[in-house]
Amino acid sequence: MAQVSAPQPKQVRFAGLGPGFWPVTAVLTALSIAFALWILYAPLDAILPGESHEVTDRAADVDALFKFMSVFGGAIFFYVSGYVVYFALVFRHRAGEATDVVGVQVHDSPRLEFWWTLIPALLLIVLSWLSINVWYKIQFGTTAPALTMEVVGHQFSFEYRYPGLKGSIYSTTDAMHLPIGRSVRILITSADVIHQFWAPEIRLKASAVPGLVQNLNFTPTAPGTFDIECTEFCGIDHSLMTGKLVIESSDAFDRWLASEKLKVAAAPATIDFAKGDAAAGRQVFTQKCSACHALAPFSQRVVGPGLLHITDDPAHPKLVDGKPPTPENIGEILQNGFSGPIGSMPNRTANGLSNTAIADLVAYLVSLK
Amino acid sequence: MEAGTTTSHADHGAHDHIHPPPEGFIRKYVFSLDHKVIAFQYFTMGLIFMMVAGSFGELIRLQLTSPTGAIMSHATYNTMFTMHGTAMVWLVLIPLVTGAAGNFIMPLQIGARDVAFPWLNMLSFWILPVAAIVLFSTFLFGGAHAGWTEYPPVSLADGTAGALWCVAIFLVGISSTMTGLNFLVTIVKMRAPGMTWTRMPLFVWATFATALMNMIATVALSDALAALFFEHVWNVPFFDATRGGSAVLYQHMFWFYSHPAVYIFILPAFGVISEVLPTFSRKPIFGYKLIAFSSMAIAILGFAVWAHHMFPGGLAPWLQLPFMILTFAIGIPTGIKIFSWLATIWGGRLYLTSPMLYAMGFLITFTFGGITGVFLASVPADLHEHGTVYVVAHFHYVVAGGAVLGFLAAIPYWFPKATGRLMDERLSKIGFWLFFIGFNGTFFPMHWLGLEGMPRRYASYAAFAATNPDAVFWNRFETAFSFLMVASVGLLAFNVIWSVRHGKLAGINPWGARTLEWMISSPPPYYNFKKIPIVLDRPYDFDKPLPYRNLDNDVDPYPSPIAAVTGVKPVGAGA
Amino acid sequence: MAATTVAQFDGHDAVAVRYHDVDPVYAETRDIRLLGFVLFLVSDCVFFGAFIFAYLYLRVSAPTWPPVLNGHQLPWFDTAFAALNSVVLFGSGVTMHFALENWKHLNRRKFTSWLIATIVLGIGFLLGQAHEYSLVLKDVSWWGTTMGASFFTLTGLHGFHVFVGVIYLTTLLIQTNRGVYTGSKYFGLTAGTLYWHFVDVIWVALFFLFYLW
Repeated sequence: MAQVSAPQPKQVRFAGLGPGFWPVTAVLTALSIAFALWILYAPLDAILPGESHEVTDRAADVDALFKFMSVFGGAIFFYVSGYVVYFALVFRHRAGEATDVVGVQVHDSPRLEFWWTLIPALLLIVLSWLSINVWYKIQFGTTAPALTMEVVGHQFSFEYRYPGLKGSIYSTTDAMHLPIGRSVRILITSADVIHQFWAPEIRLKASAVPGLVQNLNFTPTAPGTFDIECTEFCGIDHSLMTGKLVIESSDAFDRWLASEKLKVAAAPATIDFAKGDAAAGRQVFTQKCSACHALAPFSQRVVGPGLLHITDDPAHPKLVDGKPPTPENIGEILQNGFSGPIGSMPNRTANGLSNTAIADLVAYLVSLK
Repeated sequence: MEAGTTTSHADHGAHDHIHPPPEGFIRKYVFSLDHKVIAFQYFTMGLIFMMVAGSFGELIRLQLTSPTGAIMSHATYNTMFTMHGTAMVWLVLIPLVTGAAGNFIMPLQIGARDVAFPWLNMLSFWILPVAAIVLFSTFLFGGAHAGWTEYPPVSLADGTAGALWCVAIFLVGISSTMTGLNFLVTIVKMRAPGMTWTRMPLFVWATFATALMNMIATVALSDALAALFFEHVWNVPFFDATRGGSAVLYQHMFWFYSHPAVYIFILPAFGVISEVLPTFSRKPIFGYKLIAFSSMAIAILGFAVWAHHMFPGGLAPWLQLPFMILTFAIGIPTGIKIFSWLATIWGGRLYLTSPMLYAMGFLITFTFGGITGVFLASVPADLHEHGTVYVVAHFHYVVAGGAVLGFLAAIPYWFPKATGRLMDERLSKIGFWLFFIGFNGTFFPMHWLGLEGMPRRYASYAAFAATNPDAVFWNRFETAFSFLMVASVGLLAFNVIWSVRHGKLAGINPWGARTLEWMISSPPPYYNFKKIPIVLDRPYDFDKPLPYRNLDNDVDPYPSPIAAVTGVKPVGAGA
Repeated sequence: MAATTVAQFDGHDAVAVRYHDVDPVYAETRDIRLLGFVLFLVSDCVFFGAFIFAYLYLRVSAPTWPPVLNGHQLPWFDTAFAALNSVVLFGSGVTMHFALENWKHLNRRKFTSWLIATIVLGIGFLLGQAHEYSLVLKDVSWWGTTMGASFFTLTGLHGFHVFVGVIYLTTLLIQTNRGVYTGSKYFGLTAGTLYWHFVDVIWVALFFLFYLW
């Protein structure tokens, strides 16, 4: 042993739990209560969109859960941080004091440890119970929803399918509509990679996974127009994969759906290239084609070749299938896809292209120089 | 030395043998078998990659100053957040908390001369520069784009870059697994005589729990990466839904590792806090047994919660329930630790040195991050928060505000032991405040931005900014504060380099600490202990004499911080 | 400790000497290395375990098993030949056990015979697997379906482990020939035996999962 003898260090002395402990505790308690009151009674729309008048029943449930967690989480945070700062100030060694004074040599306190294990455990049990209730409603909802619709994720847009509507609605130009007061089940899947369907105001999201169908269940309760966002990284234009959700009265919804059905019925059964709208085609290109094709010379490939000079490139006077670049031939590739040494392009069904979209797209491509 | 020392088993044990010193520059500093040199190698490499990955983070922040994306194309931005995350997780955090901190501190704290398998230790380090080269070579092939998680099918579009990414992380995995195994055997078999499990310092408990996770979980990641590699290169259909595979399967395999991975980051930081707080409060750690056992509980429970990263992602609905409950449950041992640490500083004699400031800052930011974790554990709430910058805020609070702050506490605390000199205390404190303020300013607004609907991994956010006009302001606010963190890390690097030459001499025990590493010279000789010490009790009783026999040096039985630390002449033998 | 307890190979059965009695320094090193090796095998179990999880997940979530490829359902794996090959591998486990026992009892020649038998049976298993692959590849490829993906990945990794084991055992053969190990210090042989048994245990699981279930 190589230790010199020395006097045992003295422990600090102070009254009770420390100078000012209870006043500080009172302040922290007041802070926690004030925070709780703010959470429970103030409108929180700045943090949770649509909080003061939630647009779906499940959104209201989620917000209630959120408030429960905020009240208790906030209190725990205020106490812990408050005590850290308070202890730092009140127990610190002051300059000039002896350095052989030590703190209160306490190792544990079974009673304290019991309470600070039990109380969080009880809070978490309550939180579990509350969460399970909401979880059940989201996952299983009503056994027979009034409206079942489908959302299909594509790179980089969402496709919406409604019962009785032949074909689909794409978020290039149109919104997804939902009726107030009817229970809705949304079936979600993907045509390519994993996407994730979400609108902040409805609070619920689900991944669009290829090979899997997920469902969300809720009843819309208030009207509005909201942004839909993809929240699972899905490729180069993930940040552009947005759409619109319109929640409207039941009657307005029925009218809208009826007009969509008329549109589909009135849609050309064949593709009329003469009626193609290049401006609309440009939007289609951005939403559907830019993932794989750049507006650049042929050799600048993203996945497929650049399409800027599809009709006027002396180095590539024919399309990839060897045919001349007429509107009809371009349209054929768009309809049937293409597979060859250069690679593979999906067909119109996989890409979600209506006859109108194809005509518009062709008009746009032909207009490029 | 004194006469009459009882000869013990320690004098004749296998680990008592002192091998001859290494000769030559290569053996001493390059291919060294000495755990302290290897720790320094990990430290240097980790700090360099922290600056590289951190600068990617800065580029991310610069991009987000404009809602249409200020400086980069989408493709480039996607590689930035991918490489920021990948490098931070695998070339910074894991190497620093295990390879640097664990390697340097743990063998000294258990009274060993080195780890169980020094050659394996050296190999574990040298794999990492190779892995780093492979990882950064992905830039030459177009870069990896799909985030540090690289989910298929979208990651399959990364082609060669994606395959190389798999190889790089697979290599890091081998290094981690070997380190975990090494540390486990060291702690089980090579503790000094008398050091029972309940007399071990808490950093050693933390390292033990971490090593357990490191050894078991990392292998699952290796499998996920191997399968992804096979699919990249040979089209083997593990994750391709069109041929019977499942994209969700990858997520299970990936997160089975990556959730324990976050506990691998944080447990060593918990261990650092458990050492720093008692030393600078001059009182025992409160609830030693609960803290030790809660580390083990977190390690074990940590294997059972992985699917909480997948709640909206395609998990069978009934499976969401047990993962939610278990994730809540893991909050209990964590809470116990936080309250115990609070009780540790209560009634102490606090020396607000820079390690102590970092540790106390940790208590604030980690608690906050832990609470936002509870918000994410509840499935209905998570369905709102998942995929938004709220998640980014949460994990930066627990990782940067937790693991990194803990590691930043460890640097000024053990630097004197490693080099014999104190770091400049004023610069360290300035560095702390820069980091603490900068960090909070950068990540706090992300909580409400995420709740309002700002998704993560978005190179531009024009649609969100159109409906949330304050989004641009907050993003710019965050970017401005992020520069304070850059300054802090720069200051740290300067401080480390300057102090090696010019720091005040520290002596054996500048802090008046009580664990075994503070009983040997600073820096320690290559063999650490000439005589293996004998341990009689836990190290945290500041009103009792040191519980050791057979020490190499004369030490004060009641060590106090030295004058260079306190500015006051100590009473008693002191330094 | 007295020199008389140091083991000598003399061709007769003798009492095996425990390493603890001979050299406490060696004993500690051996204990450390044994724990390290056992933990390595544990991590290797997780390595197989994660791929087995993947196989179970894919199989249970498939609409049919064997899966359908190009309109036809793939055939089940044929158990007969694989069962024969398994007997070869398990037999090699038995021979390895006897090899180590003989070493512990200081029977050098018998040890060598049993070790060579183990190596031969190990090579036999690998050749058997090559034949099995040629049969399976007629219908199932590595990249066509999840059946091939899981079968070839798992049995391939296992075969790689057997291959490494054969090399290791051959190294042990050479090392014992050179006198690297003694009657009381033979950790390398213990490790080799443990590894070889591990490879057998993994095969039990794989055989059940692919051929019996």
